[in-house]
Amino acid sequence: MRYAIEVRGLVKSYGEVRALDGVDLGAAPGTVLGLLGPNGAGKTTAVRVLSTLALPDAGTARVLGLDVAADAAAVRERLSLTGQYAGLDAGLTGEQNLVLIARLLGASRAQAKARAHELIERFELAHAASRAVAGYSGGMRRRLDLAASIVRRPEVLVLDEPTTGLDPGSRTRLWEVVRELVAEGTTVLLTTQYLEEADQLADAIAVIDRGRVIASGTPSQLKQAVGGLVLRMRPTRPEALAQLAELAAWSVGAAPRVEDGEVAVPVAHPGEATAVMARVVQAGTDLTAFGLHEPTLDEVFLTLTGHRTDEKKEEVAA
Amino acid sequence: MTAPLSTAAPGAATTWTTTRGPLAQAASMTARSLASVRNQPAQLVDYLMIPLMILLSITFFMGGQMMGTWQAFLDYAGPTLIAMGLFFAIVTTGLSLFADLKTGVFDRLTAMPVSRFALLAGRVAADMVKHLWALLIVGAVAFAIGYRAEGGWTGVAATAVVVVLFLSACSWSMVLVGLTAKSEEQIQTWMVSLLMPLAYTSTMFVEIGTLPGPVQWWARVNPLTALADTMRVLLAGEAPGSETLALLGWCAAILAVFVPLSLRAYRRRLTS
Repeated sequence: MRYAIEVRGLVKSYGEVRALDGVDLGAAPGTVLGLLGPNGAGKTTAVRVLSTLALPDAGTARVLGLDVAADAAAVRERLSLTGQYAGLDAGLTGEQNLVLIARLLGASRAQAKARAHELIERFELAHAASRAVAGYSGGMRRRLDLAASIVRRPEVLVLDEPTTGLDPGSRTRLWEVVRELVAEGTTVLLTTQYLEEADQLADAIAVIDRGRVIASGTPSQLKQAVGGLVLRMRPTRPEALAQLAELAAWSVGAAPRVEDGEVAVPVAHPGEATAVMARVVQAGTDLTAFGLHEPTLDEVFLTLTGHRTDEKKEEVAA
Repeated sequence: MTAPLSTAAPGAATTWTTTRGPLAQAASMTARSLASVRNQPAQLVDYLMIPLMILLSITFFMGGQMMGTWQAFLDYAGPTLIAMGLFFAIVTTGLSLFADLKTGVFDRLTAMPVSRFALLAGRVAADMVKHLWALLIVGAVAFAIGYRAEGGWTGVAATAVVVVLFLSACSWSMVLVGLTAKSEEQIQTWMVSLLMPLAYTSTMFVEIGTLPGPVQWWARVNPLTALADTMRVLLAGEAPGSETLALLGWCAAILAVFVPLSLRAYRRRLTS
């Protein structure tokens, strides 16, 4: 089997909205596929089709070679979903949630309890195991939700925006857990709005916009396509913007963007940024701020589609 | 409590290859709902207050006018008023299912290899435990203010069984409502526009002869009349007859309609 997750020409509409408009995806066994896109791009719809919660209108989706529509029951045996909204019972304690999942999956009382304790230890929730989930922090809920997804270790794990709304510390810990699961052989489909997250975790990334995959490849391929890093410079005098932009363009041979009193120029590596800065100093232009950044999802979009993510929302609202 | 981890090899995970049937899964879902009550006991108030208030307010404020003294009215209609209050409280089954569906819990459960029937039946079974609890409390209140059944404790126990059986069948209609409603207000509207007229056009607390002609026909076939008549027969210690058969027929018919419709609504809502 070449792909643990294989999606071909997937179409799914909700009323007038074509949430998925011919999506192709593939994830090799034991790898992480990152599905990167803004709100409303179709990520969650793709997740719902793969986890048997929605039927495709056209195209096919296969998990471990099993068709999600025709072999839904078999897919549910082997795939686990961690949805965007925590799939937990807030009225139960952390331990009761895990025991319930284990019992539903066929464990005996003793097995369910033992498994819940293992997961509580592993996900550092021992201090809160006997408290109702309603009182958990966002990071604790996410960890418990992920624990609930691996009560019985799935061959394929689907994570829908697992770190949206988490603080950086909780995010890093969640990433570690995902890496451990992948090391144990689990295939992961991860949706995210953060390029950094896809970069950190994914072996392959598909960028999705308006229900279509608009770019795919390894993280480094994708970053190269969008220019690797971005150097931002803010001159003290706004009149110097044009001159600064010209200087930057001449230094790197790429067109900079000028907006909000800043010049943003793509650079391939930090050395190139240093070279630009040297010329700026030489030219005697005063800067109030400068910095080297990973491109944001917004910048990836601008490069790949020519439109920004927030423009899309306005169009949908109109 | 410490986990039995120390005895396991480091890194070894507890695994199993057993599966459990739909009824066992439903039992786990029932335990889940009841555990949630243990953590947040305030939930039980909904189940208790409707039957309690209906019993007390109608008995004390209207009973005297209807039958001369409230004591006579309590003897005639006390038990059926309790049953009517419990019948109105089935709306909480729809509301709690609706609330469950709004969280991600049912997405997770639906994506798992678990029987859909078990997920819904677990909700109904747990709610029956809550109704039974309310029945015990409100029944004790009726006893305290002077109600006595001629049929003794066996009659009371048999009555409790048929009431819970009837409620469990009717709760499946609220499962369907909970699965298809767009808002909580819609579910409340159902109670006012369906459950209340059903109860008020039965012999729950009036005698059939006092009803206007055309309504009498409807009151005779009304399932709540079958319930009220069965309760009166059992509480009087008489042998159950055609009214009990009618009640059992209604329970079977309600289940035969609403269980498949609920399962279909589940499929449409969560996997379409």
